[in-house]
Amino acid sequence: MFGKNMCSKIFVVIFTVALVVGFSSMAGAAKINVGALNDMTGATSDVGKDYALGIAEAIHYVNDNGGVNGKQIKLYQFDYGYRIPEALTKYKLFKRLKSVAILGWGTGDTEALSPTITKDKIPYVSASYSAHLTDPKKTPYNLFFATDYSTNARAAITAWFDKKWPKHKDFGKRKPRFLTSYMFASPYCSAPIKAIKDQAEILGFEIGPDQSVSLFAIDTKSQVLAMKDFKPDLVWHGNTTMSVAATVRDAYALGLGADHIVNNWGFDENLPRLAGKASEGVMGVAVCAFYGEDVPMMDKVVEYAKKYNPGIPPEKRLIRTVQGWGDVLILWEALKRADKAGGLSGENILKTGFETMKNFDIGLGAAPVNFTATDHRVAGIVPIYEIKDGKFQIVEKVDLKSRWPKKWADEWLGW
Amino acid sequence: MSTTWLPCGVYHQNYVQDHAWWQTKFIKAKMILLLIILFVIIPLVADSYVLSILNLVGYTILGAIGVQLLIGFCGQITLGHAAFIAVGAYTSTLLILEFPWPKILMDWGLAYPISILIAAIVSGAWSVLFGLPCARVKGFYLILTTMAAQFITVDFIITGYVSQIGGRGQAFSLPPGTIKVGPWIIDSDLKVYFMMLVLVIVCVIGVLNLIRSRVGRAWIAIRDNDISAEVMGINVVKYKLLAFYVAGSIGGVAGAFWISNLAAISPEHFPWFWSLWLVGVILIGGVGSIHGTIFGAVFMVVVMEMLQLAVIPLADTYPKLLMDFLFIKEAAFGLAICVFMIFEPNGLAYRWWQMKNYFNLWPFSY
Repeated sequence: MFGKNMCSKIFVVIFTVALVVGFSSMAGAAKINVGALNDMTGATSDVGKDYALGIAEAIHYVNDNGGVNGKQIKLYQFDYGYRIPEALTKYKLFKRLKSVAILGWGTGDTEALSPTITKDKIPYVSASYSAHLTDPKKTPYNLFFATDYSTNARAAITAWFDKKWPKHKDFGKRKPRFLTSYMFASPYCSAPIKAIKDQAEILGFEIGPDQSVSLFAIDTKSQVLAMKDFKPDLVWHGNTTMSVAATVRDAYALGLGADHIVNNWGFDENLPRLAGKASEGVMGVAVCAFYGEDVPMMDKVVEYAKKYNPGIPPEKRLIRTVQGWGDVLILWEALKRADKAGGLSGENILKTGFETMKNFDIGLGAAPVNFTATDHRVAGIVPIYEIKDGKFQIVEKVDLKSRWPKKWADEWLGW
Repeated sequence: MSTTWLPCGVYHQNYVQDHAWWQTKFIKAKMILLLIILFVIIPLVADSYVLSILNLVGYTILGAIGVQLLIGFCGQITLGHAAFIAVGAYTSTLLILEFPWPKILMDWGLAYPISILIAAIVSGAWSVLFGLPCARVKGFYLILTTMAAQFITVDFIITGYVSQIGGRGQAFSLPPGTIKVGPWIIDSDLKVYFMMLVLVIVCVIGVLNLIRSRVGRAWIAIRDNDISAEVMGINVVKYKLLAFYVAGSIGGVAGAFWISNLAAISPEHFPWFWSLWLVGVILIGGVGSIHGTIFGAVFMVVVMEMLQLAVIPLADTYPKLLMDFLFIKEAAFGLAICVFMIFEPNGLAYRWWQMKNYFNLWPFSY
């Protein structure tokens, strides 16, 4: 009885101290609340964990460098496990916490929230680069620092067509054969499929049947065997790294004989680690520099990673950290501009913050950022990389905007 | 026999009195107070966040009632209920977006309510299809056949074929203004909340009535011992399939309701994990109790959310707490099931019953 009482008392004391320390830290300098929704445990956690670390570290950097014109950013960062009901309630929680902006994650939840975001006028800077979010007429408050999935996909297939197809033994004899491999059920994976097929038609590909590969897949032999019936020259991988590595590995083992192009969330430092030799020659999209590359601001990324997460060795960090920084840095700039121009209302952040960015350079090897009131695609140039000896080498910077100016201006916005 | 404690000297004289819902004035007053709280006070004081949590509670209740009916009342274990919810959601969505409704129905805002009814019928029929193996198998084998519902329905049919209808890609967009009930456009948490209340009340009343009918007694007999039930003349297969039909229908209503809370739906909204979650809800709430379903849903959604709110003030000092909260929540979910299985196997409903008894019998509870 005595033991039980003592335990209860100790528990109460510890809990009280924790609460007092917690609540006392709430008082202090002026703060701006920002919400962040990340996936640390769900279907996209293979890339989501590192992105979440990048977000937190970048916010520390922002606060160490004066915050938003002297006001510190208070980050409310939650893991939602890639579950949409969880994302919906978290969004309402952020609203209740009076967050001036939200750093979001997946395509499914971002698209599901988009009309609510528009109604609430809360800028939502997401890790979903779906082209559906780039038309300000439909989704004015959805923004991101990178080229969208559809632009990436068009650029990747174009780079392969430019650089690899002319070297193929059947070049000039027949059309190149192309198919896609992605999780049909995932809005992220399926977002650029219509665009890449459109680009394939423009370039004169023969298009084969799509293959559904789960984001959780570790064995994709049945899908690869189905691909073999079509004898593709090129396969588009629209998943995240873990399942892309599994597919590339199985394609290698079963002798598919096709080249591979990969969307940005499937193309990172873990791909050569997981797929080994099979990843040689795989081409993909990187929307910014890989972790630790020699580009402006990367020293800060590495410094803050060491400072706030010293337990994670640098070789385990990924380009995802850098992507997290990218989204935070454009939000920071938009908040500073809006604050100077009259306040941090959602509309002001959009109009005097984001939509005044013209060729704004955030460093990190990312394309200069442009937002206008009519177009939220940040850039039309996409760098395409290839894995050679386990390293990423640039193949081509595909300038879609210059190459197809009419289609870029009139047809491709918003899908 | 009624479980209601009556004032001294008051007796039931027939079955109608014995089975009446609100048997005393005190109970009537309590229930009216509850309705006032739900329909008047909560809408007046709750903000958008609280309403969104309550809407999630309602969605969980609607989903879990079907699971409760199958597992708790008919003894048919299911782990594929998310599939029937998905069928309801997609049926309703497709009807709203694709069906050429007569103008008069659109003007009167009847398209969505009718789509909910049709969604219930289609989901029920789909559920029966996956319930057919229950004629031959039970226990673990039935779990596997119901799990197949998820993979066949969501991962294969909805993802591969249904989602492609209309060339929309994978996500069906439901822009604000699409969903209308009578003169009201369902475009705010408050309107969704009222709709949720009506649907939950209708479904709860429907299931409670079914359970105290001949059908309900047959289900309970099958749950307790299917061989004895058959010996007594109950058509076991028919009643098992009827349970699947009703459970699937309510799942369909849940799905059709949930689309009013979304601007787009995709197969990602209906993961297999949701089926498991719903089983957790009835285990914690109390197997074989409709009250338990409601308690379980409230516990799993509201308590977890409150725990999170409690963690927020500590985040400055312990920043990892916020980010790791989902780990804590998942662990709490598993732990809660273990704890309830060991210490409170009859769930929160039993605890509620004990509390009621304590006050009803107070001060002479012996």
